[in-house]
Amino acid sequence: MHAINFKKYIFQLSLFLFSIIFSFEKNIDNENCLLCHGLPMLSVQNEEGEFRSFEVQSDHYSNSIHRNISCRDCHESINTFPHEQNIEPVNCAKSCHITRPFEMKIFSHKNQEKQHKISDHGFNPKHTIKENAEKPSCKYCHSNKVFDDIEIFNENETSHCANCHTGESLNNVINHIDFHISHRSSENSTEIVELCSSCHDNNSKMIQFDISTSQVEGFNHHFHGKAMRRGLNEVANCADCHSSHLILSKTDPNSSIHEDNILQTCSSNSSCHQNPTLEFSKSAVHSQPTSDNNPLIFYIEWGFILLTAGVMALLFAHILMDVGRYLFDKFNGKNNE
Amino acid sequence: MSRTFLRLTLAQRLQHLFMFVPFIILVVTGFPIKFYDSSFWTVLLNLIGGIENARFIHRIAATIMLIDFIFHVFYIFYNIIINKTPLSKMYLLPNMKDARDIVQNIKYFLFFTDERPKFHKFSYIEKFDYWAVFWGMFIMGGSGLILWFPIFFSQYIPGDFIQIAYIAHSDEALLAFLAIIIWHFYNVHFNPRVWPANKVWYKGTLTEEEMKHEHPLELKEILESEKNND
Repeated sequence: MHAINFKKYIFQLSLFLFSIIFSFEKNIDNENCLLCHGLPMLSVQNEEGEFRSFEVQSDHYSNSIHRNISCRDCHESINTFPHEQNIEPVNCAKSCHITRPFEMKIFSHKNQEKQHKISDHGFNPKHTIKENAEKPSCKYCHSNKVFDDIEIFNENETSHCANCHTGESLNNVINHIDFHISHRSSENSTEIVELCSSCHDNNSKMIQFDISTSQVEGFNHHFHGKAMRRGLNEVANCADCHSSHLILSKTDPNSSIHEDNILQTCSSNSSCHQNPTLEFSKSAVHSQPTSDNNPLIFYIEWGFILLTAGVMALLFAHILMDVGRYLFDKFNGKNNE
Repeated sequence: MSRTFLRLTLAQRLQHLFMFVPFIILVVTGFPIKFYDSSFWTVLLNLIGGIENARFIHRIAATIMLIDFIFHVFYIFYNIIINKTPLSKMYLLPNMKDARDIVQNIKYFLFFTDERPKFHKFSYIEKFDYWAVFWGMFIMGGSGLILWFPIFFSQYIPGDFIQIAYIAHSDEALLAFLAIIIWHFYNVHFNPRVWPANKVWYKGTLTEEEMKHEHPLELKEILESEKNND
């Protein structure tokens, strides 16, 4: 019988088991970037005195869509340790070495970037530099959820921030991080509407592009918006009709809401409405009717408001007069009943 | 025991029942959608079990109410064609006396006279209630069906009508609700002459005393016709 070295056996077995256990902890950080970036609240102060967080929470990164991509696959310009302070921003359209399942080709976001470029959110030479900078880039909507929820910044966790940042400045740090984590995309309708509203409900931003903010309010008052507010998550959000990247005006023939494409958008794209008619698809879903853009609906709406107010005023007057006369007679001992 | 007079037949009382029970359910399941920001209606919506239950129950109740309304329309035609009820016996039809009664009642309210108008079977107050529901059935039922089957109706009507139906359904709902809890409830509950409640909706009968107060002309007509038959 072959004699085994029992000590060696135990050592190898436990090494094997440990490696299995630790392999569940998906961590792509083979270059140990988290040595620094794992430090809670790691941040850098810029010339204006603002803080920017550079903390990467490994828990969140390991559960994000990019968990199998190591840091330097996207942060390409980093070649030294410690790295330069000013590094090039990430290029989302870069081809990376991750393929889609069973597809033997390199994956890239180039397609999405191309659509975004020609969409109304892309660079437009007619707009000024400032206006172009106001438009959402890839990272404005997609941010990989590496930041945690604001809820985690409770008193215990911010206690070490308070060592340096006191009063106003502590709030600024928290607000700054809050801003970074609040505009993130996901599949959740509520969050997508919130993301789009973060600009489209902001009049000072929209006025530069001569876009009305009434769509946001209109959406909230309409079928989809109300159902969404009441918890129907499968309801159409902004991106379901306007698409995610190729967002274009309805006058553009490539637009998902162009009258040639809108039927398709209402039905098969999102399998929302079966066999819609053209008239159905033309029905507004977030307009705020005015006397100019839709006088018929505007005046019908006002007609109902006046009807309700008028009828209720007359009924109220009748009731009050009735009670008044009754009480007067009662206290004066008259009986006309 | 004093004599009683039949005011509402069993069929009429059942029509009222099948109108008001769905009405309450429709309000409770519909208003959480109209007032999507209100915390009060959120609590109620959660009690119902969320928006999907509310939508389902709303449509069941609406169907019952519409069937009740269609039954009522048949009931009217049955009375006209089979029972040969003359127009003069269809007491809910508005007439010139209603206009005179309104003027007389307002005069009474404002102390120009001490005499209240004398009503027949239905006063203008009750006629208003009836015709408000009648008109409401077309507005609410029609717009509700358009919203329930928008694609079907869009084959025959312009797309803007879906939005008009949406506005009409929401606004007319508020009007109907207010009319019921203020006007109807005043006249059958809160009015000091009827407080705490007018029980005719389930009893179906009025006493001679009540008839004398509220429907003197009808009482006179009944008593006279009895005298003639003797």
